[in-house]
Amino acid sequence: MADTVTITLTNRDNATYQVSPRRPLLETLREQGVDLPWGCEYGGCITCAAKLTEGEVDQRAQVALNNRQINNGYVILCVARPEGDCTLEVGVESHDTLYRNPFLDPLADHELKADIATPKDAAR
Amino acid sequence: MTDCCGPGYASPAEAMKAPAEKLLYTIAIYTGTGIQKPDYLCTIDADPESETYSKVISRLEMPGIGDELHHMGWNACSSCFDDSSMARKYLIVPGVRSTNLHIVDCAADPRNPTLFKVISGKEIKSKTNLSAPHTVHCLGSEIIISMLGDANGNAPGGYLHLNKDFEIVGRWENSMGDIKFGYDFWYQPRHNVMVSSEWAAPNTFMPGFDLEEVGHLKYGREIHFWDFEKKEPKQTMYLGEDGLIPLEVRFHHNPDSSHGFVGAALSANIIHWWKDDAGEWQWEKIIDVENEPHPEWPIPVPGVISVILLSMDDRFLYFCNWLHGDIRQYDISDPHNPVLTGQVWMGGLLGRAPEVNGVQVTGGPQMIQLSLDGKRLYVTTSLFSTWDNQFYPEIRTNGGCMLMVNCDTEKGGMEIDPDFVVDFGKEPNGPSRCHETRYPGGDCTSDIWV
Ligand code: FES
Repeated sequence: MADTVTITLTNRDNATYQVSPRRPLLETLREQGVDLPWGCEYGGCITCAAKLTEGEVDQRAQVALNNRQINNGYVILCVARPEGDCTLEVGVESHDTLYRNPFLDPLADHELKADIATPKDAAR
Repeated sequence: MTDCCGPGYASPAEAMKAPAEKLLYTIAIYTGTGIQKPDYLCTIDADPESETYSKVISRLEMPGIGDELHHMGWNACSSCFDDSSMARKYLIVPGVRSTNLHIVDCAADPRNPTLFKVISGKEIKSKTNLSAPHTVHCLGSEIIISMLGDANGNAPGGYLHLNKDFEIVGRWENSMGDIKFGYDFWYQPRHNVMVSSEWAAPNTFMPGFDLEEVGHLKYGREIHFWDFEKKEPKQTMYLGEDGLIPLEVRFHHNPDSSHGFVGAALSANIIHWWKDDAGEWQWEKIIDVENEPHPEWPIPVPGVISVILLSMDDRFLYFCNWLHGDIRQYDISDPHNPVLTGQVWMGGLLGRAPEVNGVQVTGGPQMIQLSLDGKRLYVTTSLFSTWDNQFYPEIRTNGGCMLMVNCDTEKGGMEIDPDFVVDFGKEPNGPSRCHETRYPGGDCTSDIWV
């Protein structure tokens, strides 16, 4: 694994940061002075969600996102470790498709959280 | 209040004669708003004779960001009335996301509360394996706090026990039995009972509300009757579809009464319980708010009863339908047969009262606090940052607001006061959202008599 990877923040004037791939992005970006929201710091509360537009992260420890949010590109920075160079949109500005009114826009069975989702082809 | 005694009042009837509140303490949050500032405790001038009436007169910022201040409670209440060594002096202000407990000194200068101590979330998690603090009740000179999750945000959590010097004693309960979730609780010592309700695991409710998870049993539908002295659950009432997401729990203030109520938020029902002549606990649904169709949405909108409270004389029950936008007053002199006596509208999704007192109301009526004499009901509009963002996304730019409702305690009836409004959209650091309110002298949800 590379010692550092490059993180680009599109909504922070495309600023770039070199970070370790072994530690969560919330920690490594904050250490370099990026002002980011957070709450629980264990992957359960969604406050730190950001949108990944390029690259891959390992966020297996997160329990906040449902499958629709994951498909929309959201990642939980307090537990996500970059698996290579990544491009992100961060902060509440990136939350345009994070929240939805459940009475207006219900989730399909496969869009629920991973632990209760039904795989798409088995859904009906 | 007499000189001989501790905090609070000898009885609910004495509490009703206390002087009117002149200050309000209200939580305001930036968590989830996009403004990178700490949540804070506002002091609001509630003295109609004062020049700064209906204005925020001081703001106490918490040390860090992202706490999500939510509910809070006093270090002492009327349960310590006989203990002259105790005083109602400190507010315990938990951060539900961070698990930090902020102990705020409101006595040294009531108009400018100061931070006395912080018990860090890290310490609480490592010593007790608990997180997500919610309801704070004092219990004689001790303090118990319902904690909705374990250190990793899984249900059912438990109860944190603090001593009067705000040191962690450990877990309060001896057993959680088969309880699946935690939320609110209230106790009635003369019946040796505590009743607790159920929201969901922090990992379920914190990221927002997925309606579909209710059907997957990720949200509560039971209430629990505890043996209060043994500190363990004794009996569970399965409320089923009538009791989806039972939240705020209120016993009668009268310490001899066994009657109590819980608002089932998603079913939009009020559930009443009592002990029958044979000494058995019984429950029934006494109020059912119908879901309302929305012209553009496939699923009808439930009221979402996010809060209930009882007047100090136990005559009136108040509750809010946060999504519909109304506050209701019921005469519950006969608790089996409530009578609707008042209703007002502010905000909500049904568009019945988008603007009140010149302020655009974003959100719906949510937390309420009633004056001890039962005449003034203060209302705020934000529920929980992520849920606000789902249902009322404009709250990010508009902020929350606080209004006051005048309540007729003789004939019943409610009216929004035209002269009181605090617009949290105009806060100096940008729009914030207001939540629970308390008064320096105690209020209708803080005091329990032993
Ligand atoms: S800070 Fe709570 S999920 Fe990241």
